Amino acid sequence: MRTITTNCPGCCIACGLYLLEFSTPELPAGELKLSLAHRKLAPMNEGKLCKFGMHLPAFYAREPLPTLVDGQETTQDEAIREAKARLERLKPDEIAFVAIPSAVTNEELLSFVSGATACGSTNRCFGFEQFLNAIPEDARSALTNGLPFFEIEAASKIVLFLLDPYVHYPLLARRILKARQRGAQVIDIAFAHNRRGIANETVLIDPLDPGSIQKLRDTVANSLIISEVTPYTSLVVISLVLRLAAETASQLFLLKPFANSTGALLLDSSGAEQRRDLFEILDRIENGSIKGLYLLETDLSAVVFHAAAVKQTLSQLDVLIEQNAFRTPQSELAHVTLQSEPFYRKRGTILTIEGRLLELGGESTNGLRILEQLGSNRAFAEVHAEVKHALGLGTAEPTEFEIVAPRVEAVVNVAPLPHREPEKPEALGDEHYVLWYKTNPFFWAGIRDKGFVELSPTALQALGLFVGDALIVGDAAEKTGFKVAAVPEKLIVSEDPLVVHEHVPWRELRESGTVRKVIVKRA
Amino acid sequence: MEVIDSYGMMEPRYYLAWATDEAIRARGANGGFVTALLVSALETQFIDLALVVKKKSVYEGVPVLTNDPEQVKESAGSLHGVPWNLAKLLLECAPDKRVGVPTKPCDARGIIELAKRRQIALDNVFLIGLNCGGTVHPLRMRELAAELYGLDPDTVQKEEITAGKLILRYEGEGGATQEKGLKIDELEQEGRGRRDACKSCTTKLPVMADLACGNWGVPKGEQKTFVEVLTDKGAAILENALNKGAITVEDATEQSIAVRAKIERAMQALAARWKDELDVLTDNSPSERLAFYTEQLQRCIHCGACKAVCPVCACDEDAKCLDLHDEQDAYAISLYNLLRILHLMDSCIHCGQCEEVCPVDIPLTLIQRRFSERMQAHLDYEPGMDVTETPPYQETKLRWSADAKTSESEGA
Repeated sequence: MRTITTNCPGCCIACGLYLLEFSTPELPAGELKLSLAHRKLAPMNEGKLCKFGMHLPAFYAREPLPTLVDGQETTQDEAIREAKARLERLKPDEIAFVAIPSAVTNEELLSFVSGATACGSTNRCFGFEQFLNAIPEDARSALTNGLPFFEIEAASKIVLFLLDPYVHYPLLARRILKARQRGAQVIDIAFAHNRRGIANETVLIDPLDPGSIQKLRDTVANSLIISEVTPYTSLVVISLVLRLAAETASQLFLLKPFANSTGALLLDSSGAEQRRDLFEILDRIENGSIKGLYLLETDLSAVVFHAAAVKQTLSQLDVLIEQNAFRTPQSELAHVTLQSEPFYRKRGTILTIEGRLLELGGESTNGLRILEQLGSNRAFAEVHAEVKHALGLGTAEPTEFEIVAPRVEAVVNVAPLPHREPEKPEALGDEHYVLWYKTNPFFWAGIRDKGFVELSPTALQALGLFVGDALIVGDAAEKTGFKVAAVPEKLIVSEDPLVVHEHVPWRELRESGTVRKVIVKRA
Repeated sequence: MEVIDSYGMMEPRYYLAWATDEAIRARGANGGFVTALLVSALETQFIDLALVVKKKSVYEGVPVLTNDPEQVKESAGSLHGVPWNLAKLLLECAPDKRVGVPTKPCDARGIIELAKRRQIALDNVFLIGLNCGGTVHPLRMRELAAELYGLDPDTVQKEEITAGKLILRYEGEGGATQEKGLKIDELEQEGRGRRDACKSCTTKLPVMADLACGNWGVPKGEQKTFVEVLTDKGAAILENALNKGAITVEDATEQSIAVRAKIERAMQALAARWKDELDVLTDNSPSERLAFYTEQLQRCIHCGACKAVCPVCACDEDAKCLDLHDEQDAYAISLYNLLRILHLMDSCIHCGQCEEVCPVDIPLTLIQRRFSERMQAHLDYEPGMDVTETPPYQETKLRWSADAKTSESEGA
């Protein structure tokens, strides 16, 4: 039996846990079973795990990605040579490098940037480029800053802004409950009441009227505002929240859905001219201006949850290189596939939302070696030293108990924020509903965990639903179940990604964000 | 019930014992008896594997299932800040091997309940019981070191509970080892110290195991282990170590036996007081209690962690609490929670593992205890304490099945 100390890739909290590898009599010789155990010493989660964390052994039991060139098995060196040669045939601005940082170490991030630089690529993406490019430099720290959880527990006023901790970031909920026990006022600004109860007060806002956010100044004054930013977050909403925080002397804490989001935000030194938003990259692939794509540990169809559309878009590429531990729906389209090690076997570090530099418990640097062969050919130690240098750590090897990420007190100049006046709320037709995606680690992994949406009793009647019926939400290809809940009449809440077949321009899809107007029908 | 019938209970015998190997004696707690016992059992292939917790630091130990005596030697020493329960781990990793496992009483009780449910063949498992005054959550231990002992937690090299004090040994100025001790009573009055489940646990001696080992009853200043031999298996593994020359054994004196019993009684009395203090629901009306249960349990996010770590839950994925529960149901308290409460009423050992891993801090130990303690008293059944006793719910089920079969055949 081997015990591996590791972290969950499911969100920016990066909960600590053990994975146990062992043989059992039922397994063929050489095959190992993976099981998990709770690591109570981990300061971010104290051994506790959410449902996704508990699901990790199954998550890691997915089919490994073989190393192939044009569908033929080959050696890793040959596949790297081929990948390099094919990328060299393209112009630098025709190549995009995308790494969604959930299972990517800091060291791999730097190697990835180095590989992109070697190719001269001006299309680099870690998932948050639309915000980095739009938010002025002096306000950007609001995006990159983390917050140790003991500060949440000590807060006197917390505003949860469109964030249900039980669903979005379950390990955050107990910190907020502790703050409440210590006398903090907790205000929930949401589209629907939290059925599990976390706040002293709930302020409901209209999902189709972002302008109403501006009326919340008195409510949020002098608070700690907790919200999230994802590749799908509306820039309008985020700019309104930044303004609100600045105007009310509030502290803003933005959680992110990927384990190493903070590492990616702090370590990517690419300039604005080299960063490209994920959805813009997809649009550029469609219009033919991007012809080559290197995907690192990224399942695009899970991140943008439109598998068929992703497939259609990526099929237009001349060169698709996929480096991943596991097969994804994109693998069959890839011209070169490179097998890396699963996250728990990786050697390297990640930076959590609290600002802890965590050393992963694995021993393999194969993924890094692949990337370095594309770029600078450095050894792990050299890249690791560079990570620490970039974080201002010198030669120190911090422990998980220290908060090391640089934190800049936000100096938000309200005036230059990219504030766009929100449009007037639209009226909804009888058949229309507003779908609110409550994103969560399953969601970003492309897994339908619940199999149902929440709707109001009024919607139940209007749709003529009975027990056992199913719904079709929007242009989803699959049916979904339902649960009656205390949500506003026209709101449908989903914790699952609902597969959408209709292929719209990618930028349009992003702008609709996690709130969409949809037609809902009884299946 | 072959597993239980062949277990071989015996009249207890008491010894003081220690390792003959000087290195093992120096490294292990109380003369290194347990380490020497397991090492010799592996070396003579008396057992195939040992399941031990290997120390990474004072605050962290990882389970190791090994046939390597060197790894067992490395795992020597007490670890109060590492609250594992090894029952489920044993079930998962080594169902068909002969395994030696050092166990706290709650580990042993979990393993025995699993054996009664035919999950573990107890004939294959050697339960080397360890006296237990309780464990401390590792992060709380770090906080204690920093906030009450005034130490850099990373300089603490060893911890020990002796004569009611938690003693931390640390690297002081000039690299010399120094120690600081604080009374556990005083720490706990300040809301620090042991886990709540441990504070209120009255099972301090592992009398359900094959051997019960510890330092209670050992004359002051002597590096020896007080050993109570409880079963034939316990006697066999002890004899194996003796034959190998790995241990030295002498009879425990009447005084040693009396001292040990006195410490146990004092610990039990303290635990009983804590149990009363921690039960915040005693004075509440039934409707207030229902409101409390609803408020707490509606936070459940159905991660399944409480079931996964539960040392007496033998159902795996094929479980009523999973089968009958549907998150689509809109009950304030889900069927998952209700069925677990019901299902564990005869078997919960109140070890607190479920509460400790609950991501939304539901006080599961308190809630489960409210129900199961009364039921266990009513059924006159203490789970995990006596291998020969059939779990009452299982007995009912078996009787019901037998009755059903009889009436079926009568009908035919």
